[in-house]
Amino acid sequence: MSNHKYCDGIKRRDFIRIGGITSGCLTLANYLQLAEAGQVKEGHATSGIFIDLNGGPSHIDTFDPKPDAPDGIRGDFKTIPTNVSGIQISEHLPKMAQTLDKYVIVRGVSHTLAAHRLGSEYVNTGSRPLASLEYPGYGAVVCKERAVENDIPPFVAIPSGGQRSGFLGIQYAPMNTAASPQQGRPFNVRGISLGAGVTVEQLDRRQNLLKDLDTKFASMEGQDQLLTGLDRFSDKAFSMLSSERARIAFDISKESPSFAAPFGPDPFEQSCLLAVRLIESGVRFVSLSVGGWDNHTDIFNNLSKKLLPKLDGGVSALLNGLEQKGLLSSTSVMVTGEFGRTPKINTRATLGGRDHYPRCMFMLMAGGKIRGGQVVGESDATGAGPANDAIKPDDVAASFYHNLGIDHKQEFQTETGRPITLVREGNIIPQLFA
Amino acid sequence: MKYLRMRSTPWVMGIGFLALVLSTHSNAFANDPIPSLDVRFKTQPDGSVETTEVPDFQRHISPMLGRLGCNGRACHGSFQGQGGFMLSLFGYDFDVDHKALLDEKSPRVDLKSPLESLILTKPVDAELHDGGQRFKKNGWEYAVLRKWIEAGALKKPKGNSAEQKLTSLDVTPLEVSFDAAGKTQALRAIAVWEDGSQEDVTTLCRFFSSDTSIATIDENGIITGGERGDTHVVVAYDNAVVPVSVLRPSGPSGELKVQIANAKSDVDKFVLTKLDKLGIKPSELASDAEYCRRVSLDIAGTLPTASQVRNFLDDESPDKRSKFVESLLNSPGYAALWATFLCDITGNNDEQLRNFSYLGDSQSQHWYQWIYDRVSRNVPYDQIVEGIVTAVSREPGESYRDYCEAMTKIANDKTGKSFAERSHMMYYWARNNQKKAEERAISFAYAFCGVRIQCAQCHKHPFDQWSKKDFEQFERLFDGIQANQAKLLPDASPEFAKMIADLGISKSTKANQLSKEIKDKFKSGKYDKTIPFPEVFVESRTVTNKGIAADKKKKQPEPKKAPAARLLGGDFVDLSVVADPRQALMEWLRRKDNPYFAKAIVNRVWAHYFQAGIVNPPDDLNLANAPSNVELLDYLANGFIEHQYDLKWLHRTITNSETYQRSWQTNASNEMDRRNFSHALLRRLPAETAYDALRIALSSDKAALSICNLESERAMTLPGASVQSKKSNNKDLYALSVFGRSIRESNCDCDRTSDPSLLQTVFIRNDADVLRAMIDPKSSWLAQVAKEHDWALPNNVDKGMDKVAKPLPATMKDVNSDKDRVLADELDKKVRIFRTQLEKFTEGKAPDAKIRDAKSRLLLNEKRLAEQLALIAKKAEEKASAVNLEAANASKIDTNIAAIASDKMPSLIEEAYMRTLSRKPSSMESQRSQQAIAQAESPIQGFSDLLWVLINSKEFILNH
Repeated sequence: MSNHKYCDGIKRRDFIRIGGITSGCLTLANYLQLAEAGQVKEGHATSGIFIDLNGGPSHIDTFDPKPDAPDGIRGDFKTIPTNVSGIQISEHLPKMAQTLDKYVIVRGVSHTLAAHRLGSEYVNTGSRPLASLEYPGYGAVVCKERAVENDIPPFVAIPSGGQRSGFLGIQYAPMNTAASPQQGRPFNVRGISLGAGVTVEQLDRRQNLLKDLDTKFASMEGQDQLLTGLDRFSDKAFSMLSSERARIAFDISKESPSFAAPFGPDPFEQSCLLAVRLIESGVRFVSLSVGGWDNHTDIFNNLSKKLLPKLDGGVSALLNGLEQKGLLSSTSVMVTGEFGRTPKINTRATLGGRDHYPRCMFMLMAGGKIRGGQVVGESDATGAGPANDAIKPDDVAASFYHNLGIDHKQEFQTETGRPITLVREGNIIPQLFA
Repeated sequence: MKYLRMRSTPWVMGIGFLALVLSTHSNAFANDPIPSLDVRFKTQPDGSVETTEVPDFQRHISPMLGRLGCNGRACHGSFQGQGGFMLSLFGYDFDVDHKALLDEKSPRVDLKSPLESLILTKPVDAELHDGGQRFKKNGWEYAVLRKWIEAGALKKPKGNSAEQKLTSLDVTPLEVSFDAAGKTQALRAIAVWEDGSQEDVTTLCRFFSSDTSIATIDENGIITGGERGDTHVVVAYDNAVVPVSVLRPSGPSGELKVQIANAKSDVDKFVLTKLDKLGIKPSELASDAEYCRRVSLDIAGTLPTASQVRNFLDDESPDKRSKFVESLLNSPGYAALWATFLCDITGNNDEQLRNFSYLGDSQSQHWYQWIYDRVSRNVPYDQIVEGIVTAVSREPGESYRDYCEAMTKIANDKTGKSFAERSHMMYYWARNNQKKAEERAISFAYAFCGVRIQCAQCHKHPFDQWSKKDFEQFERLFDGIQANQAKLLPDASPEFAKMIADLGISKSTKANQLSKEIKDKFKSGKYDKTIPFPEVFVESRTVTNKGIAADKKKKQPEPKKAPAARLLGGDFVDLSVVADPRQALMEWLRRKDNPYFAKAIVNRVWAHYFQAGIVNPPDDLNLANAPSNVELLDYLANGFIEHQYDLKWLHRTITNSETYQRSWQTNASNEMDRRNFSHALLRRLPAETAYDALRIALSSDKAALSICNLESERAMTLPGASVQSKKSNNKDLYALSVFGRSIRESNCDCDRTSDPSLLQTVFIRNDADVLRAMIDPKSSWLAQVAKEHDWALPNNVDKGMDKVAKPLPATMKDVNSDKDRVLADELDKKVRIFRTQLEKFTEGKAPDAKIRDAKSRLLLNEKRLAEQLALIAKKAEEKASAVNLEAANASKIDTNIAAIASDKMPSLIEEAYMRTLSRKPSSMESQRSQQAIAQAESPIQGFSDLLWVLINSKEFILNH
């Protein structure tokens, strides 16, 4: 391990980097620190769920409708009232309409990156992407800041997603499930459950033999971090594999039918069910991603027939489910695409669509201390831009972290020792919590 | 080097000395330096300052603002500024900073009433200034700023328009040794300018310590000793960066004299000399078995097979270690490992090549094979680099059609090996993330110089010599390198059009569509027509020539200035006369006095063998990151150059040294040492090596040998970097990404990680790939053993696990009755659906008929499910009794075998140890293993337990 240099001219020793020995999200260093200090801020959410709507969903046809806008902008959909008076959303989101008291619609979010990858990196990190540096996604940061228990993975992505670990290092990357769960079917993740005919008894026997034989470096034990780390992982792996907890956490078929019922059969909705189950089991952060929102053509059929029903069913059931299990107040939830879509409906194809539009988009926030049942921010009459002050993705990110009790102005070091403020430009949006 | 141990208080001496030179300080050209600013501008009790000197912006004001922290990142150095005042981050951009101070809209300097200047009123007042009080009104800093403003706040001294050049920063002492914690030593820094003037600038320098646990340094340059060890403190002023070595020895020096005199090699001599200074005694040499394993994993990335270990141990010749090194250097594993290493630093990344040629992943394959071929032929390193740095796509004299035909032929060679025959490796320049000159400059500096210049892209780093200007001038050398589909050499266009026509593609097809259509034509992977290829070339600079031609009036036209291009810390390159600036870059790399080229590779290779570079991190050769052993680095770098950049010489020199052969076991004096190579450091096997080692350990003798010899694919031969690579099978890549293979993305050696993680541990313990490889009936060692002894292999391998996260059967232990289970699952699902439906109907007060109907369906399915489950249970029971019967039979055989095997058991256990840990078991280990095997259900089960334990031991995954 090496010394690193910081731009402010300070060079600190490796105590910062002893976190090099890591497990999933949990570094040895912060594990020890947390174990000693029991440091977790009171009264904040302790877990997070991030739902990534890949492709960039239209804001006008979903959560920021413009019923009075002219033809060519308004779109095909009507609006419906929600369970919060005065707030209307698209008619194809009836369940979300009846759940609005649990979440906030953030409207008039605005940025300037109209490319998928860049926009996605922006909303997944809260910082405008830099060529020279990759910011960590929310999940990686939360896992770096908060340890989890031994026998459960800290960060799970279903099935994968844009939440990368960036400069925090691969150790904070999510465990990808790679597949999506199917309704009523057992589900599992590679390596997590005892496989290939190995029984717990056998594992136990092997672990004992290992303890007896793996003594080559006994004279150095306690002196070398690498050895300490490997021993720790060995114990953790053993407890994960021999306990049923992780395996059961992934197995949505173990969920009670009445609880599972509101989650429809679509893999995304089942992923939402899995997310709730994982959070309940102690997983620190879950990211979900669902694609298909890049509707340059045939937008209205795509939305009304394919995309909105599963979004409506999945996210509403997720929020209700979290509440039902008493987890909503301890889970910070965020839903977003990488940008909105053009107010103007294009006419390139017979069935038109909308194009990339970062200047105006929506996000949803819920859980923790977020006060649901309101709209924060506003777009102008045609959804072409923020009506007043723009809300930046950075601001939403700052608020998301705030909701988790994480200081968004906190400084991290990159692998090369460059000091980086977690969310450079963001400010907490007070209305979200008011 | 001076070796001072300070006993008197530094200030007594310092002030006495200054008093002496004060009287003559008006003579700036005297040999004695003028004293420091704090002395010259000392404020008298009445508030006056005696001097008439005008401070200089570059020499005094700018460094003083830096030292006061004004241009820090959190203050006015922030890219948004602070309170409307923005300085260049960490200074050294004199124009920008001067302009900021005198900015018309919000000037910080008030020339009319100097004392009203914000730069004076703010920093003295903690109330007014967010940054707090930075100096006092009666302090020398105030006096310096005030005098400067009163004299007109000039950027440059009158009559001197050029930027002043600092010749050197003379720091004394350059080496400090503390015999106890808490002792101090003052540093003194003298700036020597090009005009010969010298000034004590100690109070204008910035200082930092590389390791504050060993030495701290305060803002006045006073070093205080701490824990034992050695480090550097760094002094920075203007563009100079000077490291000062600080030692805190663990014991008396001089005890290694004899060892140094008898050192087996120069490497050992330099290492021992440094250790002696620190009072550290090196560890003993590692045992033969340890050496055999270590050097094989290090040189060839290959776990030695049991028979290799045995041969090595049995060999009694005195030079067997160096003979073994030679055999490893000639093994295919060597070429594969070091080709991978060079692919890492040059950034062979298939993802980034997507938009270059129409060949997709095989470009990465070409890249790898091109390097592999050269490493295996031991082509000198500088020539390998030349083939990359100066790459153009066409061979000399090749027409565009010749080139495309040659490449088409290569495309049909699925191994990619024939690309190695091309003289250049053009793909280096064709990566998506390396399109801009600045990106190319950064990655060139990283790959071939081991230098990080990223910071200088935006600002001068406070402790690095590179300024923004240096960066911009260096960047110019990378202008005009073309490597994209849209741009061909002028002579190519007609041929390109013909090829497109031959492929039946309309000539009006453009860009992405064209690329797509071309790729579609060759979907089958068979290239039966000539593929049009993109080209890599350097665009000629016609602009400059026009400039000259237009200027006809002068007889000898002064060439219009091309943008100033300059080698990093070296000469200017006249871009108007150089056709390909990359030739100049290559010449510069090859120059004997190049400070980076040889050092960078030598240091990286050293770091591979020792887990720490002589300069560490190894990709950060900068003045402030000083080598732990200057003589050693110089010796290796010079030797490497003298041996014509012979990579094998380098490997041989390192691995034959006693320094490399030392044990990991430490003694009391060296247990804390992690940077002076007094003992081997434990280190996790690199991803590819670890994965291949697992396979070699678990495979039959025959299969293992074929992996060692690269006859079957192994991780070390995977060309690209991406996890999604289509060429290779998923399962390797999952493991490799878990073990931290280089992602080759960000110009950092840290793209590869050797940190352990939980998922790695889980992988070796429980991944189906590993468990299956362990008892694979065709290729596993256990199967081989079972066959030799007529033992039955366990057959309960779950074959369905090789795909990531495939939904598992409901009961893990019962995977064979799939069909029954599937039916049961389906019924179970139906039951759930109907149950939910029924709940809904009942809650929703649906018509009775509907409820009745749902109820009956539910009942029916519940009944069928119960029946199905009963069937499964019955079958399982039957099977269990069959198994019991089998087991009863087997136990008979087992008893037989146990009788036969009692004498064979120890040798088989030894074999298991040899093929995993490359050593024989101790008698305790052998006994414990025998006991475990005896207790297992069957010998094969027992051996699989033992093998599992061995590959999961720390000893297996750590190189030691």
